Amino acid sequence: MRSMHATGVPRPRYVGQRLPRRNDGRLLRGLGRFVDDIELPGMAHAAIVRSPIAHGIVRSFDPSAVEGAALVLGPSEIDAATHSVPVLWTLGVQLQTSTRVADGRVRYVGQPIGVAVAGSRYTAEDAVDQIVVDFEELPIVADAEAALAPGAALLYPEYGTNVLSAFEAGDSAEHTDTVFAAADRVLRHRMHLGRIAGISMECRGIVAAPDPATGTLTIWSSNQAPHAIRDAVSEVLGLAQHRIRVIAPDVGGAFGLKDHAYDDELMVCLAALRLGRPVKWIEDRSEHMVATTHARDDHVDVEVAYDDDGRLRGLRLDAVRDTGGQFAIFGGGPLFTMTGMVPGPYTWDAVRSTAKVVASNRTPLGAYRGFGQTQAALVRERTVELVARALGTDPVELRLRNMVQPEQLPYTIRTYITYDNGDYPTCLERARVLATQFPPAPDDGRARGLGYCFYVQMAGIGNSTTNQLIGLGIGGHETATVRMEPDGSVRIYTGISPHGQGQETTFLQVCADRLGLDIDRIELIANDTNSTPYSAYGTAASRSMPVGGGALVLAADKIAAKVKAIAAEMLEAAVDDIVLVDGAAAVIGTNVSVPIARVAHRAWQGFSLPAGIEPGLLETAAYDPVSATFSYAAHVCRAAVDRTTGEVEIEHYAVVHDCGTIVNPLVVEGQIHGGIAQGLGAALLEEIAYNADGQPITTTFLDYLAPVSASMPDVTIEHIQIPSPHTPGGMKGMGEGGTNGAMACVVNAVAAALPEIADRIDRTPLSPSRLWELLQSAP
Amino acid sequence: MTERRRVQLVVNGEARTIDVDVRTLLSDVLRHELGLTGTHVGCEQGVCGACTVIWDDNPARSCLALAPQAEGARIETIESVAAAVAVGGGDTGFAEGAGGLGALHPFQRAMHELHGLQCGFCTAGIVMTVVAAERAGWSRDETLDALGGHVCRCTGYVNIRAAVERAWQELGLTR
Repeated sequence: MRSMHATGVPRPRYVGQRLPRRNDGRLLRGLGRFVDDIELPGMAHAAIVRSPIAHGIVRSFDPSAVEGAALVLGPSEIDAATHSVPVLWTLGVQLQTSTRVADGRVRYVGQPIGVAVAGSRYTAEDAVDQIVVDFEELPIVADAEAALAPGAALLYPEYGTNVLSAFEAGDSAEHTDTVFAAADRVLRHRMHLGRIAGISMECRGIVAAPDPATGTLTIWSSNQAPHAIRDAVSEVLGLAQHRIRVIAPDVGGAFGLKDHAYDDELMVCLAALRLGRPVKWIEDRSEHMVATTHARDDHVDVEVAYDDDGRLRGLRLDAVRDTGGQFAIFGGGPLFTMTGMVPGPYTWDAVRSTAKVVASNRTPLGAYRGFGQTQAALVRERTVELVARALGTDPVELRLRNMVQPEQLPYTIRTYITYDNGDYPTCLERARVLATQFPPAPDDGRARGLGYCFYVQMAGIGNSTTNQLIGLGIGGHETATVRMEPDGSVRIYTGISPHGQGQETTFLQVCADRLGLDIDRIELIANDTNSTPYSAYGTAASRSMPVGGGALVLAADKIAAKVKAIAAEMLEAAVDDIVLVDGAAAVIGTNVSVPIARVAHRAWQGFSLPAGIEPGLLETAAYDPVSATFSYAAHVCRAAVDRTTGEVEIEHYAVVHDCGTIVNPLVVEGQIHGGIAQGLGAALLEEIAYNADGQPITTTFLDYLAPVSASMPDVTIEHIQIPSPHTPGGMKGMGEGGTNGAMACVVNAVAAALPEIADRIDRTPLSPSRLWELLQSAP
Repeated sequence: MTERRRVQLVVNGEARTIDVDVRTLLSDVLRHELGLTGTHVGCEQGVCGACTVIWDDNPARSCLALAPQAEGARIETIESVAAAVAVGGGDTGFAEGAGGLGALHPFQRAMHELHGLQCGFCTAGIVMTVVAAERAGWSRDETLDALGGHVCRCTGYVNIRAAVERAWQELGLTR
């Protein structure tokens, strides 16, 4: 077997392999176990009472006509039985730091105001129909502009304003003014990033099962952060955390949407506790479109200062985020992240943002893949292309001229964030080469354009103290436990919460190499607060590998060290001469070895252990990263636009990226593909729309267009691997990168194809009708 | 409250008789009456394709049919596509588990090898459409077009298309 370098140091056997995922079989056979697949004895079913109006006060909630329901709870009973839900990110001047589950006011269509429980979902929905709710209607605040208008109705009269938080980021106003005054030219434009929905294919859902005998509550829910759900249930319902167990079974996509306990889920938990029996609630798609958090809806005024020679000098943003009826768990965090990462890969002299997060009578915004970094890339990369256009310069050359050079790294950008390492210019130049390999365009009368995007992604934010300093109320670390059983097989316990990203395979690849084991000897235990270490994030923020994987490396190395110490005693060799390879602890450069299984047996039986070594092989390590990791990529695509209809096809797409050490290229490429589809969807197709009454008019997949197979081109991907200087194992996070790159890349390609309207593209999505209208009014 | 009806149908080759409210969706019958939870419900609007089953040899949205409409129908769900893998102790296959990779349909196997699924929620519906297409003798390109009836939020479809191509190659379907 080839497992050794000439030096005798084991080399990676699994890390870097395109290993198909180990949990595919049961999903392909229909043997997955999602929340709606859970059946419990005595289980009842809930349906949620939702507001049909955008703004009002509940005058009365009358369930007297309901027949056959086990329980109905209205807003006053819910309000009396619940504590406030904390908002975990406080930014600048922030008026909303917690929300009520049901305070008797409704602030968006679809807001939950009550719950009915019955024997089946059908009869629970009947009960909801029989409840009579009377509202005092209030004037509607249709959007951010209306919210900021003088004399606007207030969603929270007690705040005296609709601005829930306001903050600044980056350079001072004075310094920025100086930089702008010294620059040769200034260009201004405006961008509204349309409101979209994350639309996991599985809607939300929960089974809350109280055990009156033990006073415990077990929750299965479709979520991406079981410990965060437990935190919220404990806080809101006043149950101690050790009496709550949250399990994420198979989860059909989350993308940030499922990172917290929603008010309707908390109502279901309350109902289950009241009834003392299990209650299931499964969200349907129409509910999902109004009651699960939306994303974006950011209005950004951009000013860029630059010189005649193409040097980028200053960037000034004034941003307003239409956050809807209330803050979700991370408040205005995505807008703050946008302002932090908007400098991108370029060496600006000044970058300054002012930002307002505004309440309106729309569905609340929440986390969604990219978390502001997609917006940062769109705003910056669109701006760069507009500057290139104004100067008559090639946009790739303009980018290269302003890029942070490899030797400048680590490099601190104007927003006090320090990038780690990489080679941005080479990455962009490779993408330009790949674009030359796109097939020649057929002569079909369509307009064509190449669009680029270069982004740097902050992935795996931390460390914990940094989070604290920026007002984020959760730590940035992860913990892993590695337990080697007496037969030498291994279980990994992680707070990371896989739901499609393949950690059931990739974490095993990492661990197998650290311990010299066959991957079949390892399993991952995740998604259950009773067995896994605390994680405030679960799987989110592109941090599974750089933070959760980093913790795993540290914990596995502790096990390896102990195995080596015991093996050294058994083999009468020096510890430093022991290597773990092919399931054995071997003395380097000899044929002398002992199976790891025998070492594990000895460890657990406690027989003849070396002095100072405790029995057992159970190790835990926390990894609090020195800093986030900074992956980066260049995206390029070619758009073909039919000028007569405004229809866009993205014909070809290429990505060059660096996410440090790649554990499994198959999985990384899959993340890029899926990310691109979501960025492309936001650029061209996806839009949540409301009418003037605050009524949502996109509540089905017929109105809300998700990308389908025909929307997505094949993608050429080229990997650069410059290991992270921070992460044990060298990984950089990348899960959101595809989305971050694709939105700007696609918008830029369409703009390049249609130079006559390129200056006037000021909102997304670029739907056929929107493009057609712009083309009709082109000079 | 609502009328009940006795419905006879054949599910995965087995004759079944169920007694349900007339308003019960076929998808709910399969999932909650018959325990075939591999069929997933993504929208109940007939658009996303997650709940697709094979109904008398044609792919059909099980969320758009009421149970009584399936009287006399032959329904196939994802659970019937791959042959069962023996589950037992010792070396009899238990270690691989019932969710192992034995006896998968060539398209299922290609989906695994090429990473055509992530969260796996939409997967069953896609498999049913592709299996029906294969049986009906559809060409590779026709089958790729049929993917348009499915929404997948995770994969970006690139590897699903590659899996169709690989399966058609393996099955010797030259068109």
